Amino acid sequence: MNYQSQSVAKLYFIAAIGLFVGQILFGVILGLQYVIGDFLFPEIPFNVARMVHTNLLIVWLLFGFMGAAYFLVPEEAERELHSPLLAKVMFWIFLVAGALTILGYLLVPYAGLAQMTGNDLLPTMGREFLEQPTITKIGIVIVALAFLYNIGMTILKGRKTAISLVLLIGLLGLALLFLFAFYNPDNLVKDKFYWWWVVHLWVEGVWELILGSILAFVLIKTTGVDREVIEKWLYVIIAMTLITGIIGTGHHYYWIGTPEYWQWWGSIFSAMEPIPFFMMTVFAFNMVNRRRRNHPNKAALLWALGTAVMAFLGAGVWGFLHTLAPVNYYTHGSQITAAHGHMAFYGAYVMIVLAMISYAMPLMRGRKVAGSNRSQTVEMWSFWLMTVSMVFITLFLTAAGVLQTYLQRYSDEPLPFMVVQDKIEIFYWLREVAGVVFLIGLILYVISFFVGNSDPEAGGGVEESA
Amino acid sequence: MSQSFTKAMARNIFYGGSLFFILVFLGLSYDTNSALPERDNRGAITETVAHGKRLWEENNCIGCHTLLGEGAYFAPELGNVYKRLGGKAGIIGFIKSRPAEGIPGRRSMPQFNFSDEELDALAEFLKYSSEINTAGWPPNIQG
Amino acid sequence: MNTQAAINGIQSHHKYPPGDLAIWIFILAELLVFAVFFAAYAFARMNNVELFNQYQLTLDRNSALINTVALLTSSYFVVQGVMRIREGDNRACAAWIWAAVGMGMLFIVVKMAEFSHHFSQGVSLSTNSFYMFYLSLTFFHFMHVLMGMIILAVVAWKARQGLYSRDEHTGVETGASYWHMVDLVWLILFPLVYVMR
Repeated sequence: MNYQSQSVAKLYFIAAIGLFVGQILFGVILGLQYVIGDFLFPEIPFNVARMVHTNLLIVWLLFGFMGAAYFLVPEEAERELHSPLLAKVMFWIFLVAGALTILGYLLVPYAGLAQMTGNDLLPTMGREFLEQPTITKIGIVIVALAFLYNIGMTILKGRKTAISLVLLIGLLGLALLFLFAFYNPDNLVKDKFYWWWVVHLWVEGVWELILGSILAFVLIKTTGVDREVIEKWLYVIIAMTLITGIIGTGHHYYWIGTPEYWQWWGSIFSAMEPIPFFMMTVFAFNMVNRRRRNHPNKAALLWALGTAVMAFLGAGVWGFLHTLAPVNYYTHGSQITAAHGHMAFYGAYVMIVLAMISYAMPLMRGRKVAGSNRSQTVEMWSFWLMTVSMVFITLFLTAAGVLQTYLQRYSDEPLPFMVVQDKIEIFYWLREVAGVVFLIGLILYVISFFVGNSDPEAGGGVEESA
Repeated sequence: MSQSFTKAMARNIFYGGSLFFILVFLGLSYDTNSALPERDNRGAITETVAHGKRLWEENNCIGCHTLLGEGAYFAPELGNVYKRLGGKAGIIGFIKSRPAEGIPGRRSMPQFNFSDEELDALAEFLKYSSEINTAGWPPNIQG
Repeated sequence: MNTQAAINGIQSHHKYPPGDLAIWIFILAELLVFAVFFAAYAFARMNNVELFNQYQLTLDRNSALINTVALLTSSYFVVQGVMRIREGDNRACAAWIWAAVGMGMLFIVVKMAEFSHHFSQGVSLSTNSFYMFYLSLTFFHFMHVLMGMIILAVVAWKARQGLYSRDEHTGVETGASYWHMVDLVWLILFPLVYVMR
């Protein structure tokens, strides 16, 4: 760690991991509710557990992105953070606001929460992923502005690299697009149309810039490949991302009351969306093959390569699977969507944040380059457990989705929703088993921070040249 | 060869290409907004429907159901429930009939204790939703 | 025109493909998008030949022909511009490129007249699937022409400032490559949408 102020990232990363554990616990509850319908009913109904699961995911990824930015930007800008104090204050505000919101979900009926927080004044609640009370949304905007100010000033005053600029553009886009969360017209079609400007343009747009820049940073650090080469590819990849992804939004506009030309525009452009992910995979492996040194932090490199592969599979391949309008006509809103969502989020965003944590955490905890061999071994076990179980979750949900699509929508005698759900129950059980394995992997991940701390550093604390 | 693949050019393509596609997207969005009145059943949005949408949101119905295929996949699609349950009476009857303590071992919708006026608003909202032109989706009445 | 010098130039320090490699990644991606779009057009037409044939007659083939000539001429001008810079003549290069931009301008004006004619008749993307494809393809290509003109204008301006030389003029070749791509797409679009029955 070269700059003192980078250490604020530690707070953010710890919070991110803590919330991640919460997210997965609720994931396991949800999986059980799929097969034992009255589990925890009526205390924690499915919708509440799901809201906690998805909102925790978003919040912990945001913590992860912010932590990554606080660690990465001073190093890139070659100066201390503009205001470490502001970063700490904002951390506590965000954490408390987030915790209160989650507690609100769990302790108060949602309608009561809406009333308590004055949803009638500016109704924004009750839309998927944007369930937060309006006041929490305003809080998010304030935290985001303070964060952007802090990061922006640091970059402005320091060295401006492609990595930090791309990260800044991604974060700016994230904040700007979130403003559409405040637009909630009575017209359902318009509501849905602009809702996607937040959701799609986040995950298939600006978040990918954040993903790209963090990946580029980790690769520069761990492979020693020339910055010029890495940044060049970063630009090409994110250019392809936005070229395909912006109009790719059209794949959400097939069946929600929007004009039918979106079936063509959406299909054509979203069919190209796997290209940038494929380029990212090729890029990551290429850089590792051309490495100039062997970095002792094997775990960080594993996460970085893992994210390149899993993002391509989850976002690229599983996205393509149901993105063409004629296919989507049958699969829209089925378990296929759930399968894609799980692997894409894990591959693209969970893994990149974990890669960054894996790289930065040992440095912030006083190591020179990497953690001990023992802690890395445990961490790599957790990598394989989580990644393989996520592959199985995706496969089981895909099987469930294919059957659901056939029985409910395609066969000659379509069956009602709940009848179909009963018929595909076995896959939900299998998914739950995989989910428990994922949780075990995550617990192992947390444990990896506590083992081998008194052991010497892997590789003796020096990088060998390759 | 690699000499002529410059970072500056890659950067220009990123900025130029992104701006270009943002403009194309905004152009298409503009057209969509002018084409929507023909499709989105906006004539049917009364105060009751708006009230129904608010109730839909403030009870987080999307946390279990899908509406026009978007939402959670735990409970049935409701974009066409007005047609599936045979009108408003069917919807209202179903919502009212949910047992407060659930059904042992099975998924069950919570009992929300809506007033008659609220039930009517929800049903009106779902009627309005079912009349949006969704390009023939869902494929059949089962949603 | 000193062709010999140009040929020598090509042999001495011209690599393949000309221009910056990054633009070629971009060009290939764009061609892929257009190729899929054209295939989609062919597919949709196959299922509805009568409708496509009927509404194709409402298009103004003469304007499209003028535009084809405009783009072909502009591509010739761009080639001339590249030849001049290979001889190190910045001023002549700039003049030729500006001429190409002028031809692009002609294309824009003619195309806008065509669009406004259709819009005044109430035609939109939602009218029918022929107009959907016609408007989508031509609008998307139209945007590319504008983009190409901006790129060429920058190239011409830089040439006028004397920023290129006999040995280093990758920028000119990059812009020229992009412009030829825009032209090429039109050369497929024109017969496919306006003429072929």
